[in-house]
Amino acid sequence: MKKPFDEEQLRAEAKALFDDSVERLDAATLSRLNQGRQKALQEISAGAPAGQWARWVPAGGLAAAAVVAVVLWQGEPVEHSAPAAGPATDFEILLSEDSLDMLEDLEFYSWMDTANLDSGSDVG
Amino acid sequence: MTACAGIFAVSCSREQPKEAMTLQRERQLNQFLAGVERRALRFAEIAVRDRDEALDLVQDAMIKLARNYAGQPEAEWTPLFYRILQNGIRDWHRRQVVRNRVMVWFGRKSDPEDDYDPVAQAPDPMGRTPDEQIESRQAMQKLEQAIAELPGRQREAFMLRTFEGLDVAGTAIAMGCSEGSVKTHYSRAVHTLRDVLGEYWQ
Repeated sequence: MKKPFDEEQLRAEAKALFDDSVERLDAATLSRLNQGRQKALQEISAGAPAGQWARWVPAGGLAAAAVVAVVLWQGEPVEHSAPAAGPATDFEILLSEDSLDMLEDLEFYSWMDTANLDSGSDVG
Repeated sequence: MTACAGIFAVSCSREQPKEAMTLQRERQLNQFLAGVERRALRFAEIAVRDRDEALDLVQDAMIKLARNYAGQPEAEWTPLFYRILQNGIRDWHRRQVVRNRVMVWFGRKSDPEDDYDPVAQAPDPMGRTPDEQIESRQAMQKLEQAIAELPGRQREAFMLRTFEGLDVAGTAIAMGCSEGSVKTHYSRAVHTLRDVLGEYWQ
């Protein structure tokens, strides 16, 4: 026989059935729920020291970032100084007396270069 | 020396109440979770139709509540807990959609042995006859089926309001929506269930 169907009836019936199904949970399931709860509760006791360490994480990160920044900033001129000094050094070499002498003996150096190549090919 | 001893004593006296507070909070949370876990399991089980998956979801929700919200006022735990659980259930459904697509892609069919069996093989704690138990289980099976087929938000609103007895404000926190939305979803759920169960309800 059907009962009159209204919202309150539906709610009451549904809740009674749900409560009944909750009561019928087997022991193995209840045991697993208990294990899950104990695992969750460990989070609270484990959470306190972790929280204290966690407070220093942002500061540590900032310090590490600062160290990296300083290293990069100090390293930067060294990286750039070599290429910057390059053209000046080349200019000095070109203007030195030896270099001008070398230009005068250009024919000699050219001959020496050819001779080396020939001897190299002989060897090879 | 005396000053050092004084500082040590002060630091110890500060640590002790903190530990005591942690223990007290742990006890309160244990009590709360013990009171809510069975219902939460059935709640999740109706939503995902699988007990093992439901157990995992409830355990995750308990851990997240303890980890992130143990310091919140106790009165807020119920809606917060169900909000975490709801989020877990939604994620689970999203993953299932992806998994089903992959299964369709590879042409695999689900194993019939994995089908959900809602009839538990446990003795009846209320001392009812086997016929009464079967009748009750069948009615719950129909109800679960009907609830499972509701759209997600309607299912959440109906279960939180009806099974957990949360008020509109608490349900809104648990669902992460406005109170107006809760009323709308709940009303639609009731109408749908009335249409679906009307013919078969006892």
